[in-house]
Amino acid sequence: MTASLLSLALRNLLRNRRRSLATLLALAIGASAILIFGGYTTNLRYTLQTAYVRAGGHLQIQHRDFFHYGSGNPAAYGLARYEALIRALQADPELAAMTVAITPMLQFGGVAGNYDAGVSRTVIGTGYVPADVNRMRQWNEHGLRYERPPFPLDGAGPDAAVIGQGVARVLQLCEPLNVPPEACPRPTASRAGPATGPALGDDIAALAAAEAGARPGGGAAPAGTARIELLASQVRGAPNVAALTVVAAESQGFKELDEIALILPLAQAQKLVYGRSEPRVTSILVQLQRTAQMPAAQARIEAVLAQAAPGEPLAVLGFQALNPFYVQSQQMFDTIFGFIFALIGGIVLFTVGNTMNAAVIERTVEVGTLRAIGLRQQGIRRLFIAEGLVLGVVGALAGVAFAFAFATVFNAASLTWVPPGASEPLPLSIILQGRPGLVVGITVGLIAIAVASAWWPARRASGLKIVEALRHV
Amino acid sequence: MSVPASAVASGAPATLAPATHAAPLHASASPAPPEPVAVLAGVHKAYQMDDVSVPVLQGIDLLVRPGHFTVVLGPSGSGKTTMLNLLGCIDRPDQGQVTVAGTDIGTLNDDQLADFRAANIGFIFQSFNLIPVLSTFENIEYPLVLAGMEPARRARRVTKLLELVGLSDRAKNLPGQLSGGQRQRVAIARALARKPRLVIADEPTANLDSRTGEAILTLMRMMQVRYRISFVFSSHDRSVLKAADDLILLRDGVIRAVRRKAAPPPPLDTVPGEDEA
Repeated sequence: MTASLLSLALRNLLRNRRRSLATLLALAIGASAILIFGGYTTNLRYTLQTAYVRAGGHLQIQHRDFFHYGSGNPAAYGLARYEALIRALQADPELAAMTVAITPMLQFGGVAGNYDAGVSRTVIGTGYVPADVNRMRQWNEHGLRYERPPFPLDGAGPDAAVIGQGVARVLQLCEPLNVPPEACPRPTASRAGPATGPALGDDIAALAAAEAGARPGGGAAPAGTARIELLASQVRGAPNVAALTVVAAESQGFKELDEIALILPLAQAQKLVYGRSEPRVTSILVQLQRTAQMPAAQARIEAVLAQAAPGEPLAVLGFQALNPFYVQSQQMFDTIFGFIFALIGGIVLFTVGNTMNAAVIERTVEVGTLRAIGLRQQGIRRLFIAEGLVLGVVGALAGVAFAFAFATVFNAASLTWVPPGASEPLPLSIILQGRPGLVVGITVGLIAIAVASAWWPARRASGLKIVEALRHV
Repeated sequence: MSVPASAVASGAPATLAPATHAAPLHASASPAPPEPVAVLAGVHKAYQMDDVSVPVLQGIDLLVRPGHFTVVLGPSGSGKTTMLNLLGCIDRPDQGQVTVAGTDIGTLNDDQLADFRAANIGFIFQSFNLIPVLSTFENIEYPLVLAGMEPARRARRVTKLLELVGLSDRAKNLPGQLSGGQRQRVAIARALARKPRLVIADEPTANLDSRTGEAILTLMRMMQVRYRISFVFSSHDRSVLKAADDLILLRDGVIRAVRRKAAPPPPLDTVPGEDEA
């Protein structure tokens, strides 16, 4: 009976091919539009997620108050015995099966200066284990066309540093560091050089000179590098300075980061911040193989920490909590997605409803005949709802097929774009593969809307009085 | 159930007598008549047109004899279609009682009535009313699908019906590919598919030329005799009179005369069995 009902529904739809085709087109275009937008937002989500996870891992173990208060004095929230914690985490077989890297990080504030140019700026310094960062940069769970170059600090000297392209621009290091002109436009106005600028503090200059002098071959920077001095506050408030060789100016992905990022080896950062005190870190980064492992990994980490560091004020935070912009942008795109879905759903509702209303009017006599020969009201309702269902299924599937075809062609073009707030071009893709939830959700949603929009005309048809339906002209 | 004797007759003479409610039309002593297939008792029906109630049937008493070919004759607007709608259980009276196949249709809800129609009543419409997207075969088969009959049995029955109406070679044609006469033959086959007790044919020849109409009338008569099914046939064409066993003359919503043939319909030598249409 169901097969014959669907067959009858299909044949009825083919009676008025032009109208059915127009309805199917509206459905298909609606479905593909939602899917393409969904694929686009998926691309944004994955790109942002990849950028954040590569830079900071999925989870970070921090002092409980570091996230809220640490920016004022990061060094004060350092984790003691961090190496023991890392060893404990690495030794856990459950975590070992999930993790790509477990690595320490030290964040601190400072002032970077190019004393030759007489310029300086505040920076956020970050100390990493370069080999770990290199490994973390390869993370690409979603198979994006978004590769990060090898970490320039990996294999570089202990005094090496990497700065954001914005820092390079402000410190006037674009030329020696070969920063592309689009990231570092040359100033048009004459600028004050070292000869005309105010003299730097003697104590800072002396400290820097002492640092530079301590280096083998200190003084002139090798080609493609530059020298800077980094002033930071030690854990007890005393100033400390390091002379660093900037080996690269790298885009950090986000303009705000580009303007303040200074990255150096962890040991150098610890030396700068903690001096001869016990070295600490502000975070332990944990990068997982898959993002979906986060809840399980977090639970496991908390269990391990409870054993390895009982009573320590530690917190395990996900990258979403650490990067509110990620969550906010996802919420924004989800809202836009919902809005578009509602709009297109409304269009589908009225288009299918209009088609079914027209069908009911055209087939009023037929409804009367079917009722006369014994079809129940429910049978009439089923008949028209089946037509809505067929329209919904065919339209939605056609939309899915079109969206996949469009995405394939679009992605093959390898387009890039610079999203708001980003400092480098990112892949512009439509990601539908591996998003069964999105595809099935939209398909089922539109089918449900098509069925719902057929419901009212179907109800009207089933409620027709037989004699009036048979008299209908 | 009370049925006025005026409308109940068996062995009636082949004359058109005025309908009276006071006395039996035929007083001759005869065996008890078989149970009527349909009875209208004191039926009134009016249609509302804006604020005006237009009476269509006014106190109709009628008995439809089983296995007879009953013709309802009357001019346009006389109430023929309304009366057939009531007999076909697709409408309900404002007043009075309609009993079909022994069931008071007033006691049935909409679904029960639909099932009742499917099992007991076949319809032949003036405009054929075939389902345009279904083939000849499928149109005839449709009531059997509704009945839930298994496919092989359906196919046997439809094939037999197609043979009977002479359309075996048109089984796959859509209604749009058939002539008017052929479409009406399909409609007849569809009406008979579930072996109903009663077939309602509302001016089934009105949209056909006279020759085709005659052929359709002959076919219906042949089927009615063959399967002892009661046919109620409405027309405003007096040429159908010769086909009628019983004739009801209707005018202005009132039965003006009833004529019933004295002789019962010829005995049947063919009764449709389970494997026959």
